[in-house]
Amino acid sequence: MTRLTLALLSVLGLIAGPLTAGAQDKYPSKPVRIIVPYGPGGATDITSRIFGDQLKNILGQAFVVESKPGAFGIIGIEEMARAKPDGYTLFVGNVSTNAITPVIYEKKFSINFEKEVLSVSRLAIYPSFLMVTTANFDVKSVKELVDLAKKEPGKIRYSSAGVGSFPHYDMEVFARRAGVTMNHIPNKAGASGMLSDLVVGDAQVAVINSATTAAMIKAGKMRPIAVIAEKRLTEFPDVPTLAEAGFPNVGTLHWQSMFAPAQTPKDVLATLYKGLQDASKVPALQEAFAKQLVSVKLSDSLDEAQTWLKGEIANWKKITAEVKIDLNE
Amino acid sequence: MGDFFSNLALGFGIALTPMNLGYALVGCLVGTLIGVLPGIGPIATVAMLLPITFHLEPVSGLIMLAGIFYGAQYGGSTTAILVNLPGETSSVVTCIDGHQMARQGRAGAALAIAALGSFFAGCFSTALIAMFSPPLAIVGQSFGAPEYFSLLVLGLVAAVVLAHGSVIKAIAMVVLGLLLGLVGTDGNTGAQRFSFDIIILSDGIGFVPLAVGVFGLGEIIANLMAPEQQRTIVQEKISRLWPTMQDFRQAWPAVLRGTALGSILGVLPGGGATLSSFASYVLEKKVARDPSRFGKGAIEGVAGPESANNAGAQTSFIPMLTLGIPGNAVMALMIGALTIHGIQPGPQVMTERPDLFWGMVASMWIGNLMLVIINLPLIGIWVQLLKVPYRLLNLAILLFCAIGVYTVNNSAFEIMLTALFGVLGYVFMKLECEPAPMLLGFILGPLMEENLRRAMRIASGDPMIFIQRPISLGLLIATVLLLLIVALPAIRSKREEAFQEN
Repeated sequence: MTRLTLALLSVLGLIAGPLTAGAQDKYPSKPVRIIVPYGPGGATDITSRIFGDQLKNILGQAFVVESKPGAFGIIGIEEMARAKPDGYTLFVGNVSTNAITPVIYEKKFSINFEKEVLSVSRLAIYPSFLMVTTANFDVKSVKELVDLAKKEPGKIRYSSAGVGSFPHYDMEVFARRAGVTMNHIPNKAGASGMLSDLVVGDAQVAVINSATTAAMIKAGKMRPIAVIAEKRLTEFPDVPTLAEAGFPNVGTLHWQSMFAPAQTPKDVLATLYKGLQDASKVPALQEAFAKQLVSVKLSDSLDEAQTWLKGEIANWKKITAEVKIDLNE
Repeated sequence: MGDFFSNLALGFGIALTPMNLGYALVGCLVGTLIGVLPGIGPIATVAMLLPITFHLEPVSGLIMLAGIFYGAQYGGSTTAILVNLPGETSSVVTCIDGHQMARQGRAGAALAIAALGSFFAGCFSTALIAMFSPPLAIVGQSFGAPEYFSLLVLGLVAAVVLAHGSVIKAIAMVVLGLLLGLVGTDGNTGAQRFSFDIIILSDGIGFVPLAVGVFGLGEIIANLMAPEQQRTIVQEKISRLWPTMQDFRQAWPAVLRGTALGSILGVLPGGGATLSSFASYVLEKKVARDPSRFGKGAIEGVAGPESANNAGAQTSFIPMLTLGIPGNAVMALMIGALTIHGIQPGPQVMTERPDLFWGMVASMWIGNLMLVIINLPLIGIWVQLLKVPYRLLNLAILLFCAIGVYTVNNSAFEIMLTALFGVLGYVFMKLECEPAPMLLGFILGPLMEENLRRAMRIASGDPMIFIQRPISLGLLIATVLLLLIVALPAIRSKREEAFQEN
């Protein structure tokens, strides 16, 4: 369907062509495709749509979001990496698809991720809560959680978005640092499944994206005992960061970033980066993200985006080496 | 109670503004349209319209998206009845008897009963949402993995009744469905199962390629094999468009039972609504005085599941509105639409945003009325469609199937998969194997596996958990009773008869 929209838009573009003939060489001169490795409606999809809307106003061409879900993001990433590197095929992915997948599923790629994909800029960071249920579970702080886990080894159950997802790694790293063991209950349904696990009581602890939890916290169904973010959230001033609670460098900053094929011309990347920067300053965009408790955080420069991505991948190589999760390859 | 009526008045005040009525109408029209086009599901449509809602009032956006959702449930039965194409999980069972009715020239009656049954179910379950949302949400919250597993056991045991041919073949098809459902990444260990290093298969096989292939394409191949003069869907004269008094008499108890069943199953988190149409079909066949009519155009086989499906679709809004937990992918999109506006669906929505909650509930009832008004006059047109020469019709169906399958994941691979399943569907038809039990195994199998392994993890490997939890125990007792009834010799001989088609 998005292809169809794209085709229609380019037909319209051709009709309008003669009027803007002089501007043909300047990027972008036709609609741009943004591939997203998830179905519509999720955090990554919404982030790319919000940015895409602003880019359209700034650069004068439509940015059409197209979802290519599947295989931990590999299907979408490969389609982008194989596209003509002209800036008309971009990709928005997150820490799972573009840092964890390239590390733990490296052999599944038919491209060389680190050589063929580059980051245009990080876009936003979604804070997560270390959340506990209130259903037959009376834990009010990180310390109480650790104490209980020590008293009842392997009894406390935590939910995650599946084996090898960052909420899984976060809980494993947390348990190691605290010197406890907990029972993993993976949920393929992702964030909504994890919420349901906590409400129903199938699991008692989880690292959950904070954007959709405020209502349930207020209703007393669950309780955030720490936030995984650079600083406390203004909406939840009493919830300490995980670092403040005694666990520095534990927990994943759930980022989203724009990517492009590595051979994309420098001037095209510069135009895009400038466009993203301008977009990030638009009040409507800032408001849309603030409502979801998300902080907009672009890379400082194109170069910084590359060193940052390298750092992320190196970091995940370290984490996955420390916490060996047997994926039965 | 006075509170209830003032809330309802507030809701209708919002839903009846010309603007919101307009959005409800747009939602219902679009929903009906995509429901009628085979394979194109509400998810792709809601996803396309999602950006529009960013610029609307939250209530209006939600009213429109909800209209698309239940509109598609209505429309989905149309293709199932006319051309044996289930676009949604819920319309698989409608194919069984609905399409047989169409072949007998009773397409009009089947469509009318489906629409009226859905309307009744929609009204009833909307009233249920309005009056009992908070207590029903608590029922949903008591359904953990052990309870779910026991419910699925009951479902699968009852499912053998789905078949109307040989029992052995039915069981074989359920098992085949279970196996197909295993393909992909094991959720508990991350291991790859039956994916043969094909990376796309690491997410498993999708429902739409399987259903559209096995039902729709298989049917087309079989029809094209027949000599040209027989290649019409309707082999007998279309007798009349409206159901007879006899039809109504047979259908209304089924509608009542289906509505009750669907309303309960819809409340369960994690897609209980999916089970409702299967469960209703099984129930109808069990209580029928002459079960042999099923599979040959029994109107209860359309009325029950269609009502159950619509009731379940409506009550599945309860976990979303009261807890913020989406019951299916479309609702996850709606929650996404609300978060953009800074509204977080949850227990507070009812008290903090009564306009949103009650406006939505009122609009559901209005939407159901609109759907029945849109759909009843259309029946005449749909039935005429069957007179289109098959050489043209089959091409149109193929085209829409391909578009529909593609839009689910924007994946060309899934179109090829559909073609493959089409051939398989034709083989099944030649072997007289029913595809419906296979789809049931395909849907229930992975759910059962997940909940069993999860329950075992929760209990640290102690199977007693299934009898220690009261709800789970109750469901297992019901399963045993069902098995006993089936095993009793007197009833068994009668049942053997029921399974023999000729």
